[in-house]
Amino acid sequence: MPTVLALPDFDLSTRCASGWLLRWILPRLEPAHLFGILDRRFAFQFFAPQSDIIIMTGHGGVDVITGQNEAVILAVGKYDPREVRGKVFKLLSCQCGVALGPDLIKNGASSVAAYVDDYVWVTDADLASTPWADKMAATSLMPVIDGINALLDGKTAKEAFTLELEGYTRNAEIEEDELIKSCLEFNKRNAILLGNEGATIRARPKITLPFAPPPILIPL
Amino acid sequence: MASSKEEWQRYQEALRQGDKAAAATAFQRYLEAKKAEGKGGSRPTLVNLGTKAKDYPNAIPLEDIPAVMQEKPEFFDLLRRIAGK
Repeated sequence: MPTVLALPDFDLSTRCASGWLLRWILPRLEPAHLFGILDRRFAFQFFAPQSDIIIMTGHGGVDVITGQNEAVILAVGKYDPREVRGKVFKLLSCQCGVALGPDLIKNGASSVAAYVDDYVWVTDADLASTPWADKMAATSLMPVIDGINALLDGKTAKEAFTLELEGYTRNAEIEEDELIKSCLEFNKRNAILLGNEGATIRARPKITLPFAPPPILIPL
Repeated sequence: MASSKEEWQRYQEALRQGDKAAAATAFQRYLEAKKAEGKGGSRPTLVNLGTKAKDYPNAIPLEDIPAVMQEKPEFFDLLRRIAGK
């Protein structure tokens, strides 16, 4: 069963977010990985109906999430409910929890984890070719990874969501940088879980990560 | 020089008051204090995953934040929501 993992890669923020998913989530999933130029609406339409979980990062707004070069992938009222019915969504983007998330639930999505305000973090631009090595970004993105891995382990949407929130709290407590700490608390405040809290997906095999050399990313 | 923690509190206070110029100055001082303490990456940048519809960029080097917060009202509002509590 293919699993939709949408990974745009055209600017620093998408590079960083997608880099973490590439390094820590992609090895656990069957392709279809919509990486870079493949992260377009037509590819999503083709693979989404076959996928039990849809993991997306990308630039977004209250009623839309986009892919490569901000090509619209999902927008309120502009998709076939077949693409979302029964699926567990993780939307790592800005504000999708305001209108897009509720619209997905209305159209049959099982659960949607998203954010109701901007998703913000501090990254080191010099690490754009190896974003997973960025310790500043890790404080915010590793809780997201932990939450997604929990879903892939077979845990419920609520358990995965709680794990992500606990990650922000834990990292904020030990963080000395006030800006990073504020970003963590901000992301935690704005995280939202909609739909069936008990939703689960087929558990994927557990593997020790990272088991393979990191992917090679060309400089931005 | 005050510690980065103290400068951050001044920055938060300026955000709460909605004073852009004071917030910009305070943030600049916060960065200087942090640098003096030897913290931060080589090119730290505040990033977000918002669309182009916003009036501010998706990636803003921390050193540019004081200027951007004065030019872009939506960005100043975002900073208030992030840190002005």
